Amino acid sequence: MATHPEIPEVSDEILVRRAQRGNMPAFEELVGRHRDKIYARAFSMMRNEDDAVDLSQEAWVKGWQRLKQFQGESSFVTWMTRIVINLCLDQLRKHKRQRAESIEQLEDDLGGVERQMPAVTVNPTEGLERTELRARIDKALGQLSYEHRTVLILHEFEDLEYKEIAKRMQCSIGTVMSRLFYARRKMANLMMSWKREQQS
Amino acid sequence: MNAELMLKLQAWVDGELPASEAAHIAEWVRKDAAAAALAAELKMTRGFLTGNEPEVKLPESREFHWSKIQKAIERAEAEPSPREALPWATALRRFLVPVSGLALVAFLTVLSIGIFNRDTSTGTTDELLVEEETLSRHVETSTYNSQANNMYVVYIINKDVGDDDPMDLDSDMDEDMDDSVIQ
Repeated sequence: MATHPEIPEVSDEILVRRAQRGNMPAFEELVGRHRDKIYARAFSMMRNEDDAVDLSQEAWVKGWQRLKQFQGESSFVTWMTRIVINLCLDQLRKHKRQRAESIEQLEDDLGGVERQMPAVTVNPTEGLERTELRARIDKALGQLSYEHRTVLILHEFEDLEYKEIAKRMQCSIGTVMSRLFYARRKMANLMMSWKREQQS
Repeated sequence: MNAELMLKLQAWVDGELPASEAAHIAEWVRKDAAAAALAAELKMTRGFLTGNEPEVKLPESREFHWSKIQKAIERAEAEPSPREALPWATALRRFLVPVSGLALVAFLTVLSIGIFNRDTSTGTTDELLVEEETLSRHVETSTYNSQANNMYVVYIINKDVGDDDPMDLDSDMDEDMDDSVIQ
């Protein structure tokens, strides 16, 4: 890789403007700065290392091709994150079409079990180190269906509103609300059960 | 507590409920212990998730990752998609189709004047259907000449209709919508 000694000092905005004029080293620096974040978003949605690497790479290629469309209304990394999210959603939709949905999954969507569970009144994350907390959140995310996980990620980590999530996931706002509700309840209960396991 | 109320409670926690309904839910939470407990759980879950997204590192080096991206970009740029090549081809086609059509009509008009001005008393052919050769692959022409009915018809068929219509941008738009970026 070529060395560009002045580039690390330059802001994202300036690098984006250079890249928009076709400056490849500027884009390379942007990739270097944000590659982990873009990969992490792909991994959190796909839960598969190979898919996440491929999709984050594809996102960067699309980012380069569409860079002229970027007007700076959001930060560059937010814009790139939206690209990788859309690619992941496309991929997940393809996967979903390929597999037959099980009865369990349909019940999962309806959230019958979670609705009946009593509210978790004790904070199950109290006293946890941040690293441990993140590891448990990761483990819990891995136990959610992709629909529940995706809604949770888009709402809690991407800070998107119900309407925007519905648009991206191509479903109704009611479905988003329902999935988010049961994803949160399942998350709280998983965290609580691990706390109990730890205590016993 | 029914499912609809639970979802309204959540929307209230997320600040997505209209003000009129929000006041009603707030009052319900104040009076109902089960609603208050559920609201507290939803807020707590939101609280421990915020800012605690699992950290994951790209499992390959910066150099290797970039080299793959760079190759993919170069490959994509070396092979422009047919749609990228469309603007000039479309412009050329849009110019050539009407021009070749007009030229053909002019040619056939001149030809028909010659035919009708001929002395038909010795004519040997009453009706004639001929496919004319054109230089454009987008246009097919045929002529029908009936001396008995004193009729001469020119058919000009645009072979592009229903095929690769340059004005058909739907598929392109759908593709863009799929990957649209909202900033």
